[in-house]
Amino acid sequence: MTDSERHPYVELIAREARRPVQTDPAARARIMTAVRAEALPRSRSSIWERVIAPRSWTLSPMAGSLLAAGLVGIGVLAGALTANRGGRPSVDRATLGAVRPPVSDTIVKFVIVAPNAGKVSLVGDFNDWDETRSPMLRAEKDGLWSVTMPLSAGRHLYAYVVDGAWRTDPSAPVIDDGFGHRNSVKLVAKGSTL
Amino acid sequence: MSDDAADVQRVLAGDVDAYAALVDRYYDRCARFAIRMLGNRDDAEDALQATFLRAYKALNRYQERDRFSAWLYRILVNQCRSIAARRAHRDKVFVREEALLLNAPDRAVVWTGEDEEFVQRVLSELDPLLREAFLLKYIEELSYEEMSALTGVGVSALKMRVKRACDRLRERWERIKND
Repeated sequence: MTDSERHPYVELIAREARRPVQTDPAARARIMTAVRAEALPRSRSSIWERVIAPRSWTLSPMAGSLLAAGLVGIGVLAGALTANRGGRPSVDRATLGAVRPPVSDTIVKFVIVAPNAGKVSLVGDFNDWDETRSPMLRAEKDGLWSVTMPLSAGRHLYAYVVDGAWRTDPSAPVIDDGFGHRNSVKLVAKGSTL
Repeated sequence: MSDDAADVQRVLAGDVDAYAALVDRYYDRCARFAIRMLGNRDDAEDALQATFLRAYKALNRYQERDRFSAWLYRILVNQCRSIAARRAHRDKVFVREEALLLNAPDRAVVWTGEDEEFVQRVLSELDPLLREAFLLKYIEELSYEEMSALTGVGVSALKMRVKRACDRLRERWERIKND
C-alpha cells in the first residue's frame, strides 16, 4: 500500500463513500414490475433435457407408409454416394444437406498452449458450455492441449477452462457477451479445418 | 446450495417472486456503487433497473462457477460504464449551457456542503476508470483478483488505477490545505 493509500484524507473519503445510501422502495417495485413483464428465463438443462428426452410417436398407417418410403429413399441415396466414393460424388453438398440433418459435419481441432496446467477442457455453444463434456488431451512434451470437435458450419462461441479458470483463445477473435465475459469466436466453413 | 443459488433455481423453475429476494438482497449494495459511480440518483436508478432486468433475462446463462454477486456486479459495472459514456456526450451539451447560465447576472450557486454531496463531488472529480477502481477496492472492499475477474482488467493495471485515484485525492487535499 502506497503513502497516498494510507493518507487520512483518502481514508476519510473512503469512509464517507462506504456509508449506505438511501434507496427508494418504489424503485425496487418498478424493477419487479418490469421483470414480471418479461418471459420466464428457462434453464439450459431443461431445454437440453427436452431435446434429448425420449418420446413416443403415434403414426397413422398412411404416415407410416410415407415414412417407410422416405427411409428407403435415403437408403438408396446413401448407397449411391457409397458407390461413388472413389470418384466424383453424383450428389452435390447442397443436396446432401437436404437429406442429412444439420448435424456437425466439419472436424475442427482446438489447441491451446498451457504447459503448467493440470486439466484443460473446451466449452462452447456446441457442448452447452459444459466443462465435463470436452476434456482436452495433453501432448507429451510441449504443453499443447488439444481436442477435436465436429461442428456445424457457422459461427461458434467458445472458451477454454484451464484448471477451472475460463480463458479466451489467444489466437482467435473475441467478443464480449454483454455480461462481462469474453468468448472466442470460431467461424466454420464446410469442409475440414483440421 | 447458497441462498442465491437456491433462489436462482426457483426462478428458473418458474417462481418469479424468488427474483424479488435476489433484488432485495443486492439492491442497496448495488445502489451504493451506482450512485457513487454515476454521481446522481436518476442515472443510478436507470443502471440498477437495467442491471436487474438484464440479469433476470440472462439468468439461464448464469453458471454456478461464479458467485451470483460477482456475476451481478459484472453486469452492473458494464451498465454504469454504458450510462457514463452516454452521459459524457450529454454533459458536453450541459457544460456549454451551464456556462451561459453562469454568465447570467441572476445566477445562483447551490452548494449545501452536506456530507453526501461532498463525497459525490470529490468522487466525480476522479476520472471514471480511476473512480471505478477506487470504489471497487475501498468501498466494495474487493481483492484485486476479484476486481480483475469483474472488470476484465489486469491486476497490475488495477493497482495503478487505485494508486492514481489515491494520488488525485491526496493532491486535492494539498490544494485545500494551501488555499
